[in-house]
This record gives sequence, C-alpha cells and structure tokens, in this order.
Amino acid sequence: MKKGKTLSLAVIAIAFGLGSTALADVNPPLAALPPVPVPKDNPQSAAKIELGKLLFFDSRIGGDASVSCADCHAPKQGWGFNDPISRGYPGVIHWRNSQTVINSAYLGKLFWVGAAKSLEAQAPGAALGGVSGNGERDMVEARLAFIPEYVKRFNDVFGDDWPKVNNVWKAMAAFERTLIHDNTPFDKYMRGDKKALSAQQVRGLKLFEGKANCIECHNGPLLTDQKYYNLGLPRAEEWLDNGMAQITFRYEQYAKGVTEKMYRTIKNDAGLYYRTKEKSDMGKFRTPPLRYTAYTAPFMHAGTFFDFDELVDFYNDGGGSNEFTDGTFASSKTKLLKPLGLTDGEKADLISFLESLSGPEIKMSTPKLPPYAPLPPATN
Amino acid sequence: MAGVFGTAVLLLRGLAMNRKVSSRIARVSVLGSMLMTLAVGAVAIAPAAMAADFGPVKPAKVNAKKAALGKRLFFDPRLSGDAAISCSTCHIPAKGFSDGLPLAKAYPGSEGFRNTPTLINAAQKAAWFHDGRIGTNLNDVTRESITETYTMNMDMRLMQERVKQDPIYVQMFKDAGYGEPSNGSIRKAIPEYLKTLTSRGAPFDMGKMSSEAQRGFDLFKGKAGCAQCHSGPRFTDDQPHNTAVPENPEIWSNPLRHVTYVSFAKFMGLENYMNHRRDVGANIRLQKSDGSNIGKFMTPSLRELKQTAPYMHNGMLATLADVVAFYNRGGGNDTNKDPRIKQLGLSSEERANLVAFLESLSGDALTGPEHVWKDKINVNYVAIQDWLQKKN
Repeated sequence: MKKGKTLSLAVIAIAFGLGSTALADVNPPLAALPPVPVPKDNPQSAAKIELGKLLFFDSRIGGDASVSCADCHAPKQGWGFNDPISRGYPGVIHWRNSQTVINSAYLGKLFWVGAAKSLEAQAPGAALGGVSGNGERDMVEARLAFIPEYVKRFNDVFGDDWPKVNNVWKAMAAFERTLIHDNTPFDKYMRGDKKALSAQQVRGLKLFEGKANCIECHNGPLLTDQKYYNLGLPRAEEWLDNGMAQITFRYEQYAKGVTEKMYRTIKNDAGLYYRTKEKSDMGKFRTPPLRYTAYTAPFMHAGTFFDFDELVDFYNDGGGSNEFTDGTFASSKTKLLKPLGLTDGEKADLISFLESLSGPEIKMSTPKLPPYAPLPPATN
Repeated sequence: MAGVFGTAVLLLRGLAMNRKVSSRIARVSVLGSMLMTLAVGAVAIAPAAMAADFGPVKPAKVNAKKAALGKRLFFDPRLSGDAAISCSTCHIPAKGFSDGLPLAKAYPGSEGFRNTPTLINAAQKAAWFHDGRIGTNLNDVTRESITETYTMNMDMRLMQERVKQDPIYVQMFKDAGYGEPSNGSIRKAIPEYLKTLTSRGAPFDMGKMSSEAQRGFDLFKGKAGCAQCHSGPRFTDDQPHNTAVPENPEIWSNPLRHVTYVSFAKFMGLENYMNHRRDVGANIRLQKSDGSNIGKFMTPSLRELKQTAPYMHNGMLATLADVVAFYNRGGGNDTNKDPRIKQLGLSSEERANLVAFLESLSGDALTGPEHVWKDKINVNYVAIQDWLQKKN
C-alpha cells in the first residue's frame, strides 16, 4: 500500500518534472556494513595488499620524497588529518579537510566533490596534485625501479618487468580495501544484537531516522547517499589570517578554471561547481559517511566543527548561510535543512547514537621500507 | 670552385656578424654547414672566418626594473615546489653561477646527472642544456628549469599565487610594467635578469693577456685546433659534438642520480632507457637510427672557466690542465668520436700556454649588488588583511 502511494506520487512528480526529488524520498534503510566491494579488474591478494601498504607509507611517491599518503591520512589521526584543513606538500597547506581512508573502499565518489570514482583513481589525484603529493608519474616509476624489493614485488603481483605507476594505484587501493570498520556497536545492533546499543543510543537512532531527519542524506549501510548538498557552511577560518592558506585558495580557483570575475571575487569553496560549472552546484559537497567519526574530528569539508555538539547544533539550527545560500553567488542551499527543535536531551541522545558508529581504533605503525640500490649491469 | 669557395667565406663572415639573435644563429649554422658541404675545404677556412668574432661579449640591452625583479625571483626559494631551493642554489654567483660540483644537486629527493653550467653569457646561447634540447628562448628555459620534476618541481599556477602574496613583488611587478604578478611575467623577468650576466674585465678583452697567454691563443687558433668548435665571442659554436669525455661512474652507481637520468630519458621518449649506462646527450633531440648522435654534447663557452670548475657535461675533468691534457691525448674512446679530435702533440710548455690563455678568458666575478639580490627575502607569507574585502 505504501509502495503504491510512493509510485503514484512519483508519477505525478515526473509529470511536473520533479521526478528525482520525489524518488529520492525513498531512503535506503540503515544497515550493517556489507562485505567490501572489489572491482573485477583489481582483485585482492595478500601480496598486493602488503605491497600497497608499503607504498601507502612510502614518501618516495611524493615529489621531494618527504611525503607519503600516511602524512595526510595519518593512522593516529583517524587516517585523516586533525587540523580543520589538511597539511599539504611542504611549502603549502591544503584547502580542505583530509577525509579518513577508513571505509573509503565503499564509496563510489571520492574527494569532497566526487572528483574520483574509485580508489584507483583517487590515489593519483592525491599523489600527483600540486598541493598534496606533488609527485610525477615518470619519477615515481623511476624511483621504484631502483628499489629491488619493489621490483620483485611488482613482478610477483602484476608481472611488471619494472614497476608500473598504474599498478602503484592498484596496490594502494587493494590495501585501502582492508581498512574496514564494521565492528561498531551500530553494526552489531543491525546484525541483530539488540544489546549492542544502549537505550539512549536507540533513542538517538529513532531521532536520526525521525525528528532529526539525518537519514534523509545519511542513509543505507554507509550512512551516506553520496549526493551533493549545500548546507550553508562557513568558510575555513585559515583563509582570513594565514598567508599560505590564502595562496592555496587562489591557486585552487585558478587551477579549477573559474572565470576571471569569479577568481577575483570568490571567498569561499564553491564545491561541486568546480566540476560542473553549474551555478546551482555552488557550495555543494558530497554527504560524508559517519562511521569512525570518533577519530576523525574536525568535521565537514573545511573542518568547521570540532565535536558532535557543534555539529548537532548546526543542524538543529537548520544549517547555515553563506554566499552560496544568500544569492551573492547562488541560492543553492538544500531545502532539506530546517530548524529541528531538538531538546538538550534529544541532542544528547543523537550524539550518543553517533558515537555508536565507531568501534575500536584501527592502529598501524609505519612498516620498514625497502632501500634504494644501484641497478645491475645493463642487459643489452 | 674558387668562386664557390670565396662566396662561402664572404657568406660565413656576413652571417657571423648577425649573431645577436639566437634563432638566427641556428639558421646560420644550418646555412654554414650546407655551404661547407658545397665548398670542399671550407672547414679549413672556418676557424679563420670565425677568428674575427673573438672579442668581448656585448652586453645585452636590459630593462633595469624588469631585471631587478628577475634578480629577486632568481634568489627566491619559493619558486620551487617545496620552497627549499632557488635558481641560485645551483647557480651560485661566487662560483660563476655554477655550483663547483662535478654533478648537480637537483631538487630534494633527487640528485642530478650533469654538471651545472654557468649562466654567465647564457642569454646569448643558441640552445640550452648540455644536450641543447631547449633552443627556442630563455622563457622556455626558465619554464623548463622551474617546472621539471628533478630541478624545481614547481606548479607554475601555485608559483604565481605565491608571488602575488608578497607585497614587495606586487610593487616590483607594477614598477616593471607587468601589472599584477603572473606566471607569464615571471618567465619574462628572470630572462631579463639573466641578460645582465655578461662577462666583463677578462684580460683577453682588456688587451692584458700575458705573453704566455698570447702564445696560448695562437695555439688555440692553430696547432691545438680548439677554435674549430670554440669560436665567437663566447668561444663556442653552439653545436653538439662528441669528444668522448669519459662517463662519470657516479651517475650509474648512485641510485638517486641514475633515477633522475631514467626519469629524464623516459619522459623524453628514448628507447631502452633502463639499459643506458652512458648519457646519450644530444641524441635526445637528434635521434639518428645509427646512433651516431649518442654522446654528443653542446660545445661549452670558455668564458669564466676559472670560476666554474670542474669541467665537461659530467664534471669529469677537475682542472684546466686536465682539460688540455685530455685534448692533447686526442680525447677519450668512443665509436662516434668526432674525427677532428686527434692527438695534438703539445709540449708541456704549450699546454701551459693554452691554460694561461683559457684563464685569460675569465673576468670579474659577478657577485656585487648589480648581479646578486642582497636583501634578505622574507619567505614567510604575510596574510592579506581584510581578505574578504580585497579582490583576489
């Protein structure tokens, strides 16, 4: 009966050209995390995962051989970076919050505005980007060719005569597919252990799905719909008082190809707009997943909130306003955000539920990395 | 035959007068070699024709404000990716704008596989780098040096925004007539500065050569045959030749240097680069199927040699006496060695005379404020106040 009603609503909505909005109302239910998806062209193997782990921690992938993936995705910082906006390559700071690698294997849209569609595509974006790894493909391949253990491992895993850079990304992705966080109280609860959540957390879950309406975007087993929304978040404070941050901010406008008029006047991160160049996409960012958040503060693309209290207050107030909500650049704020009228008790319940989305910390120390060696004599 | 011969001499002379413009020099060389092919024996007269060119390097016309801006940029480490090195890290004024090392240091994380060449008089070169792979203009050379992974590894868009963050630069770009800082004008200002690096005060140019050096000059033009390639005001024909300089084993035994070579050779599209154990030199741009261009390197200028030891593209010869001894024994061993490199049979006195002559081509060190940015450069970026109100 309910299904029939939704369908007829959808038919009416499509008739008025509002199909997608209406259909999006059918929110996938929250659920325990399923097995990690593995792409057919990059199957997992123990040797590949071990190789990927070494590469993830190896700073020789970065331009000046001083930065690895693990510098901005630090295991001790929630596999992210605990400043509002991430550190970057030496001499630079980044302009967005570093997202956790944990559970990233489930995402179909990586980076804050979905610029990569797979872990294999995300890795080079980060390793080669001017304000992140600043590496270069030929140099990465050349360096790896002079590390005999890598030569052997790439040959074993991929059959490469000499390590191929595209296989670097594949091995890293395979390693990242092992960084799964599915033993949370929430997952246990969803698998049927009704004692896994406290009474307060169960009340928070009800609020999450009901009055607070978090589930509108944070749904399904990942607690994200992987869609893009403008919440009216404030700009990173670093841009107001940090010269290096101001440089990167302008660089990003320049590098992402905005109009000169926009380059001159923009003072905030226009998000999805940089990819689509659609005014209606200004200020939109992809809904982040919510697992492992006990370790990944500060939150949001610019690291605006340092704890769940600040986060919940923001939503309880109906989100914020900025130049992408007030018509200065756009009026793209999502209509889904409204003042929630949560009591202090309800806020506490909701936060208690959010805490159930994290289990034990995933710890890892830097592995011993293999050294360079001269090449053997030429073979011809 | 005599008519063709005479015309060739006149043309060579006439064309040699027009050496100012680098692109024209390249054309002169092509024309020159065509004429030499036509006129048998023209090679023999070439040194005499070029001998007229020996003399001071003419200072280039320079815009002082643009050059001053270029000078500050040259000494500013923020022009490299991780802000650790500037142009002057390898091109050190007190070392004749080279670095005194056999092989260059390169960007952090890498080491170089060639000797850092001097930048003095470099603005007048026809082609740049030891293999001559950049032969268009200094703007391209500047871009290449700043952006190449193993030199300064800089994203020029980021460089532009760094420079815009420094109020001193904002004013200097304005004063120089460039408007606001841009990566395009950075690549114009640095060449303008490089144009100020002109040799001056060499005994050879001042008419102050010792009699020993004068005898060396005669040998240079005659018995020793140096002038066949080392001709013109900078004492170079701006052409690649194979003199069979021995390979520097350090390139192939030190992984950090060999890595850089591989990265370079791979990027340049050379075949079989993992098996190279000899720097291919000019073959990078002149890839003949018979491999005859392997091992050719651009004839270096002989100016300011006293400041720029060690010598050759790979720094294998430590002193000028070593260089003269190398040529006296007919260079090194290589199947593609230029046939003009033969044993010279110079006596020890003659060799000493040649060294004295080479030393007479070195002039004043360019280490004063005219050529060196002396003020401390504050590399910490100051935040723009009232950022929200300011246009980016």
